[in-house]
Amino acid sequence: MVASLFHPLNIFLLGLGGGFVIPLLYRLGKAWLHAGFWLALAGIVAVSGVSLFDVYRSGTPIEVLTAGFAPPLSINLRFGLWEGFFAVPVGLVAMLGALHLWDRLKGNYGALLLYLILVMGIDGMVMTRDLFNLFVFLEIVSIATYGLLALDRTPAAIAAAFKFIMATVIASTFLLLGTVLLYYVTGTLNIDTLIAERQQITGPIGATALLMVLGCLIIELKPFPANGWGLDVYETAPSGVASLVSVGVSAGVFFALVKLLPLFEAQLGLIAICGGITFLFSNLIGCTQTKVQRLLGYSSISQMGLMLLALALLTEIGASASIPLVVGGLFINHLLAKAGLFWLAGVLRQDDVEAHASLGGRPLLLGLLALFMVAIAGLPPFPGFWAKWELVMQLTGMGRLPWVALILAGSLLEAAYMFNWFVRALRPSDERAGEGPDLIALLPVYGVALLLVGAGYLAARMSGAGQAWLFAPLLVGLALYTLDRLPGRVEGVLTLVAVALAGGWLAWSAEGIAWLFAALLLAGSLVIAAAGLYRRDRRPGYYPMLAILLISIPALLRSSTSLEFFFSWEIITLASCFLIAKGRGAGPHVLTFLLFSLVSAFFLLAGFAGIAALSGTTSLSALVTSGPDATVAFVLLAVGFLIKAGAIGVHVWLPGAYAEADDDFTAMLSAVVSKVAMFGLLIGTYLATRSEVSIEMAHGMAWVGMLTTIAGALLALRQSDFKLLLAFSSMSQLGYIVTAIALMSHLGWVTALYLVANHMMVKGILFLAVAGIIWRTGTRDFAGTGGLARAMPVSFVLVAFAILSMSGLPPLMGFGGKWLLLSAMAEKGWTWLALAGLVATFLGFLYMIRLVAGLFLGVPPAGQARAREVPPTLIAPQLLLAAGILVLSLYPKLLMDPVSAAIDPQFAATLVWEGKSLYTIYGYWNPTPVMIAAVAAAAVLGIAAWLVYRGGAGRRTGSLSRFYGYYRSVLERSLPPVATGFWNGVTGATLAAAATVRLLYTGNGQTYALYVLVYFLALYAASLGPAGFWVGS
Amino acid sequence: MTTGLPVSTILLITGFCLALIGLWGMLTHRNIMRIIIGFALIDTGLHIVMVATGYITGGTAPIIDRALTTAAATERAIDPIPSALVVTAIVIGFSVTAVMLGFAIRLYAARKTLSIDAFTESKW
Amino acid sequence: MTRHVIVALVVALFGLVFVRLVGGYAELSALRPLAAQYVTQAPLELGTPNIVTGILITFRGFDTLGEVAVLFMVAASIGLLLKKDEPNAASEAAAAGIGEHTADDAPLREPSEIVRTGTDVLLPLIFVFGAYVIVNGHLSAGGGFQGGAIVASGAMLMLLARPGSRLSVALLSVIESFAGVLYVSLGLVGLVFAAGFLDPRFLPKGEFGAFVSAGAIPLISALLGIKVGAELSVIIDRFRG
Repeated sequence: MVASLFHPLNIFLLGLGGGFVIPLLYRLGKAWLHAGFWLALAGIVAVSGVSLFDVYRSGTPIEVLTAGFAPPLSINLRFGLWEGFFAVPVGLVAMLGALHLWDRLKGNYGALLLYLILVMGIDGMVMTRDLFNLFVFLEIVSIATYGLLALDRTPAAIAAAFKFIMATVIASTFLLLGTVLLYYVTGTLNIDTLIAERQQITGPIGATALLMVLGCLIIELKPFPANGWGLDVYETAPSGVASLVSVGVSAGVFFALVKLLPLFEAQLGLIAICGGITFLFSNLIGCTQTKVQRLLGYSSISQMGLMLLALALLTEIGASASIPLVVGGLFINHLLAKAGLFWLAGVLRQDDVEAHASLGGRPLLLGLLALFMVAIAGLPPFPGFWAKWELVMQLTGMGRLPWVALILAGSLLEAAYMFNWFVRALRPSDERAGEGPDLIALLPVYGVALLLVGAGYLAARMSGAGQAWLFAPLLVGLALYTLDRLPGRVEGVLTLVAVALAGGWLAWSAEGIAWLFAALLLAGSLVIAAAGLYRRDRRPGYYPMLAILLISIPALLRSSTSLEFFFSWEIITLASCFLIAKGRGAGPHVLTFLLFSLVSAFFLLAGFAGIAALSGTTSLSALVTSGPDATVAFVLLAVGFLIKAGAIGVHVWLPGAYAEADDDFTAMLSAVVSKVAMFGLLIGTYLATRSEVSIEMAHGMAWVGMLTTIAGALLALRQSDFKLLLAFSSMSQLGYIVTAIALMSHLGWVTALYLVANHMMVKGILFLAVAGIIWRTGTRDFAGTGGLARAMPVSFVLVAFAILSMSGLPPLMGFGGKWLLLSAMAEKGWTWLALAGLVATFLGFLYMIRLVAGLFLGVPPAGQARAREVPPTLIAPQLLLAAGILVLSLYPKLLMDPVSAAIDPQFAATLVWEGKSLYTIYGYWNPTPVMIAAVAAAAVLGIAAWLVYRGGAGRRTGSLSRFYGYYRSVLERSLPPVATGFWNGVTGATLAAAATVRLLYTGNGQTYALYVLVYFLALYAASLGPAGFWVGS
Repeated sequence: MTTGLPVSTILLITGFCLALIGLWGMLTHRNIMRIIIGFALIDTGLHIVMVATGYITGGTAPIIDRALTTAAATERAIDPIPSALVVTAIVIGFSVTAVMLGFAIRLYAARKTLSIDAFTESKW
Repeated sequence: MTRHVIVALVVALFGLVFVRLVGGYAELSALRPLAAQYVTQAPLELGTPNIVTGILITFRGFDTLGEVAVLFMVAASIGLLLKKDEPNAASEAAAAGIGEHTADDAPLREPSEIVRTGTDVLLPLIFVFGAYVIVNGHLSAGGGFQGGAIVASGAMLMLLARPGSRLSVALLSVIESFAGVLYVSLGLVGLVFAAGFLDPRFLPKGEFGAFVSAGAIPLISALLGIKVGAELSVIIDRFRG
């Protein structure tokens, strides 16, 4: 009895019976009407849910026969795993969607019955095994959509609906004709029979019939450029209806294609191209769109394109085993995230991205928006992430690199316009936008958000990455989020405890170099995070996100596969991004940060995929063992990590992000987070140890590092904002570390780690000190500071101490690092690099002197407020860091020994390495001459610079600040912002291209109909060639 | 029979010609009513094509009566499936036309014109 | 002008596609196995002489049910679409438009004597013919859809001849709903008492070719006819605005 109650056939009984009864219930009263509607809708979902469970348990699909005859005589339907996988989520989303649309639906029995039958129709499209029945269900779905589109009666909406009807009618006409012709050719309409006998579908009629069926399905999925009609509907329809079209109807059509795909074996390439073009161009045009629903429309269409592409390509390369994860993951991701975004846009009544509806004061809504955006962008922990990873892995494995490039480029564009919306929503707005939407209106949105999270976990399990530790950062973050109403400091302390415990647990399991990094960074991050306690205010969302960030770092370091590594990498990126976004003026810089991070991540993804393709495993140990072919993979990885390290040319994201983040968080970014990229570079460089070509590449990387150092120093000199100066100083110092890593020698790598430790502590002190100064003086400009040594003596001493260590002068820690580096380069014969290093050292001295002098020496400016020393909460962490520097300066072996031990076993196995232990190097190494030479060179350069400055007329009475002012203007004139200009140019060109391409969408329904027809002809011509237009034999 | 073309081929050609006429009308006329008529013509043409593809040389309607005995049915009846399908197709064609007409009334009410060029407010 | 050239090109290309189809077409000389099975099984198993009706109501009854749903939804959609705006709706212009529209088109001139008398004479005939086509669907050419359409044409004639008359849409939609529910229920009865959903063989087959025969096919046919007739009439009435 129970079995028959939940038999899939009941979906149709409930849908049709319920639909037919609704007018009767309407006459009985509102309550009856509503109860009947919900009962039927919930029944449909329940039946499909129970059936899915049954199928999952028994492993055999449920066959639904009709009319008491066996197929192919009568129509049959099937409910298998795949069917259930499509039907159940669509049903759930449809239920939540009905809730969202309830205001419009409740008084309107016509709309209620249309909605109910629409949901049933989608299930029918998914389940039916008869081609003509598919046509009937397609029409049921279409007519229901047309009817629901009439809910919005503005002229624009009605016009859009008419365009939609014209195009879809053409599409379904193709399906009708194709179906009948297929029957003529094969004598059957049963899909299973058709597939079994597909070899017989030949001749002009058979080929054309197949193309007509295919054409209909592709056109229904709104391919570029024949999709203006779909976009107009997305833009103008009520958000609930638009979401249903985007996720429900498309899902039905897409599954129909999945079902019929064996018929289109010869057209797989064509399908992939259709999907690829749609994915790329929709996302391109989306970049110039500001209307929210149309923006979501572009995203919807592109997601369908991506699914189409993935389905066709994976089938073509025979990777059918990956289809559930990839196509299923992309589908669920799109379904839930897009529905959530449409509804959110509807709830907020925001129709334009530029509108003043700021979410600045509504963290919960902002969080939801962020969650959906993250999912859409294919970032963890949502299903899209796992799907894209698997897709890229598979495609790279089969050498389909252009496709990988296309997918990544499209994803980047999509992330760009989606997060552009997010960043605009972040803008603080003066007007308090009334009262927020009520809980009921948001209920469906929460619902899909929850489903999305669950789906993410399932997808992770499917990818083989379901271990609890991987999700530990997110779980801790979530737990802290529930405590977000506590006072700021209490939450801060809790965060510290959580990070220490979870991070310690994770770091414990790391091995080798990773363990060293983990211990170092965890300690550093705890100390710096503790400094954040100087702020007494509540920081909604800050601490949970900080916990996620800080725990993800050890999680990344203990990863054993590239998937785990990449997962944590993306979480770190996202968490940093959201934390930067908390800064007051961070708005535009958040987007730049995120986009460069994504580009970096995509390079990493491609690199990891390349290694996996070579070695057949995603284990990180493959980095050490893969053969000499890995050069390309190495370059990809190196570029990825270098972007994240802010290397020259791609550094443009760095200053804004560093300068505009909260002051204490900038310390974290520079001191701790930047080191993650260094770790990545270090392990990525293992690849290069295997071949001579790669060694040359490494030489190139050393130059990139050195140029970054010089450029960073020059840019730092140009600043009048001292926080920006420090930001560029970070870039400059990271350049040293890159160079050290690129040395590819034991000495170089020990140096790199030494520099990492040094930089972490130095920048921690400096940024925290600067945070205190900004706090006390309220300015970031040198013009507003000076002479603070008296008012803030402890800060002064600490800054001077840190600067000393950073500069590399004895006796502090930086000394060892800097001279190790210079002599290692000299030893390797990289003379020019070493000379460049001298110049860099000189430039470094210049900006460091300026920092100390500009802040603490000289006379206080007239308007400066009476500054006081900062409280111990801010001083203590700095003292701790200073103590760290001191300890490591006195006992370098504390670090050197474990580093050496960690590096040696790795290198012992490699060919190029000529092992020299550190002790032998230290044994004959004498730093003093190198140091004296370098300092002398710096002094000579400095005197020369001073003479040049004094040489000009009227500059006899130069003070130090005038000296800097003079060189700043010289630098400004001689160093045009090439990189910024270049990236602006790229952005401009992209937007211009998008603006041009979108002119295709004239808004005229007849033109759109013409596009649809031409699209079919193009498909036809591409498949059959010119012969298709000739009556042949 | 001495004519060159079989009857179903003639029907096929007729149906396709009708569909092409409808296509031309749908794409060239600006008036929404005429566009709808174009769609209806396409539909009708294809219905003729559907029926034509089910024809069996020398066949008759698949109804068992005095003219067609059960025994002779497999020899002389035409394929009943296209005939059954066309009923469904006609009903669906009618439905779509009705919905389009409904929208046309709404469009006219909004703009006092039926020119499709007047309804391009959402684009790009 | 360029537009016409492009359209001409598109139409010409479709023409070539169609010509190729015609070129590949060869008239069938015998039934394919599946079709032959229908032709032999429909009379035998279902007891219906009209094989097309047998297919529509039984073998492809699921399609037919869907088709009924389509018509049903069209009636609802048109109702939704042409519903009078609420007094203070935003699109007041649209409301005014509709009012004007009916004012233009319906000068409410009394129909002539001939039309009225003709209607009086024809209407009963049309309805009777419709009913005949509906209930004889299992025996000869005809069936629920066809008959329903005829009945609706009668309704249309009535509305044209007497512009003032109003169909009782409420009654019709109740009838329509009941017919739909009954149709689904009959399908269920087939599931319980015969071999499957929409199987009409839960009633005896009866004598081949008799009026009362072919299981539940005539019953379903009649429901279909009622439902289609009511639906089409409702749709026609809704277009009157």
